[in-house]
Amino acid sequence: MFNADEDAGSNGKRILWMSLCGFGIIMLLGAITGFLSAHMEEGGGPLKLSGYAILAAFISVALALAFAIWKLFRQMQQSDQKLPQREKVYNRFLIGSFLFGGATGLVLALTGSFDANENNLFATGDMSPVLAIILSIALGVIVPVITFYWHKNVVDEQEEAAYRFGALIAMYAFWFIAPVWWFLSRGGMLPEVNGIALYFITIFVTLIVWFWKKYL
Amino acid sequence: MKNQLKVLRAMRNWSQADLGEHLDVSRQAVNAIETGKYDPSLPLAFKISRLFDLPIEQIFDDEFEGGNDV
Repeated sequence: MFNADEDAGSNGKRILWMSLCGFGIIMLLGAITGFLSAHMEEGGGPLKLSGYAILAAFISVALALAFAIWKLFRQMQQSDQKLPQREKVYNRFLIGSFLFGGATGLVLALTGSFDANENNLFATGDMSPVLAIILSIALGVIVPVITFYWHKNVVDEQEEAAYRFGALIAMYAFWFIAPVWWFLSRGGMLPEVNGIALYFITIFVTLIVWFWKKYL
Repeated sequence: MKNQLKVLRAMRNWSQADLGEHLDVSRQAVNAIETGKYDPSLPLAFKISRLFDLPIEQIFDDEFEGGNDV
């Protein structure tokens, strides 16, 4: 029991590998889509043998990565058979958030709520007022309430410290990146400063530092 | 900070999850404290002290060897 617990104490490396595998699958799916789109643009028709070989290679690697995620998930499940109550609530909260976020994203994508030319994170184009209000309420009211509850009742002090350190590093990242970008854009070497890009950079930095301090 | 948490836990045949349950923290927190990556707050240190019925300085070692330098 004891050795297994040492191994299970921090699942950080497993989570990191699962994330990387997931990222790899997304990249591979993008590559497959791009490959097929290029083929269609060239006139379509049956693929050549080399085309099938390339597709088979992409699909094989994607399946191998999916298998790796499943194996790692099984290992985590085995080590998670008995969790502290706080961690159980934490996991339920996380799963609920992923499901809600995924379902929301899927609905928005399926209902064509995003302009096809403006569906990236840094888009600055027009948005329908209804969608703008829905997203504003979600991000400005619902998420802050959930976040308050999360910090007050779910995370423990070690994770709270990880959040604090992540926030500190993100603050410095913002302080240094924003003016450098501004100077270089005024010097004509970079495009205009994009506030949303800076917002995502601070979130990304916080996430990386939080993960490192909580799990590694 | 070095500490005896892992040894004390082993003496009671507790898993990291068991200790986490007693302290109301996650296994990651227990793991981070045991490996010296995270120093617990004073309230958590007192909780640990009460749980094992030992003074804090017998559980945690700040490796200070000097005299009265306060």
